[in-house]
Amino acid sequence: MAEDNLDIKLIKHIQDGIPLTKTPYEDIANDLGMPEKEVIDRLKDLLENGKIRRLAASIAHRKIGINSNAMTVWKVPSERVDECGKIMAGFEEVTHCYERPTFPDWEYNVFTMIHGYTDEECEGVIERIKQKTGLSDYVMLYSEREFKKVGVRI
Amino acid sequence: MTLSEIDKKILHRLQTNLPLTHRPFLELAKELGLDEDLIIERIKSMIENKYVRRIAPIINTQAIGNSATLAAMQVSEDKIEEVSQIINGYSGVSHNYLRKGRNKDIPLNIWFTMSAPSKEQLDENIKEIEERTGLKVRMLPTTKKFKIGVKFKIN
Repeated sequence: MAEDNLDIKLIKHIQDGIPLTKTPYEDIANDLGMPEKEVIDRLKDLLENGKIRRLAASIAHRKIGINSNAMTVWKVPSERVDECGKIMAGFEEVTHCYERPTFPDWEYNVFTMIHGYTDEECEGVIERIKQKTGLSDYVMLYSEREFKKVGVRI
Repeated sequence: MTLSEIDKKILHRLQTNLPLTHRPFLELAKELGLDEDLIIERIKSMIENKYVRRIAPIINTQAIGNSATLAAMQVSEDKIEEVSQIINGYSGVSHNYLRKGRNKDIPLNIWFTMSAPSKEQLDENIKEIEERTGLKVRMLPTTKKFKIGVKFKIN
């Protein structure tokens, strides 16, 4: 438990950004009063056990011109979910691909988040997904307004 | 400021893990054939100019014991503002969008993601949103992940 608490303390300390110095891990270690090796080892473990997905840059994708974001939902027969999910995930422009539950009034079970520089680029990806999977029942849900978009914090 | 070819090169590399070594930016410098000081300076500049939000751990909320879901609601035009503000008021909400079907009309139009320290807390928050708005919230949690690796193609 105490070990876990130190991990949480470490994540909380750097979740808004690591120091941009030549020796960021040493600086974090000094702030937290632990050796640099411990900071590095803890981060390695957190990455290995999946508690941290990546230690990387968060890009403001709209600012760099990636203005189109099409959440596309697909109706995929249950026995083809694995096969189709893998095909969809193989596209560079597909940043997220998930299976989600269905309901009598909601039958779309596979979600792909597609990011592109233009709507046409996203639609090109959707066309290619259709061709590769043979799927035809889908809805492109474009974002019309963004009310909130923040990184996950703890 | 516009991004230079060097900036794009750095940005592309920075979307994957920073090396876990004493001098991580020196390692990047060797990989990219650039200078360590230049890399640090360009990253600072890209953060200042808001191309990059931060270099930080991307947290897997579920792996640290949190519970999360995508949620969708059908909200009439005149209530969109009010409902979106109610949803935004919860700190566990990381994304909240108005979305419209382009090739097909679908009734669900407000889409948000919420995480909470436990499944109970998550359910309670969702129930509270339903009570406060008088509208149904459809919870669509992930049942299987095929990809979660937001890495953008830098043109």
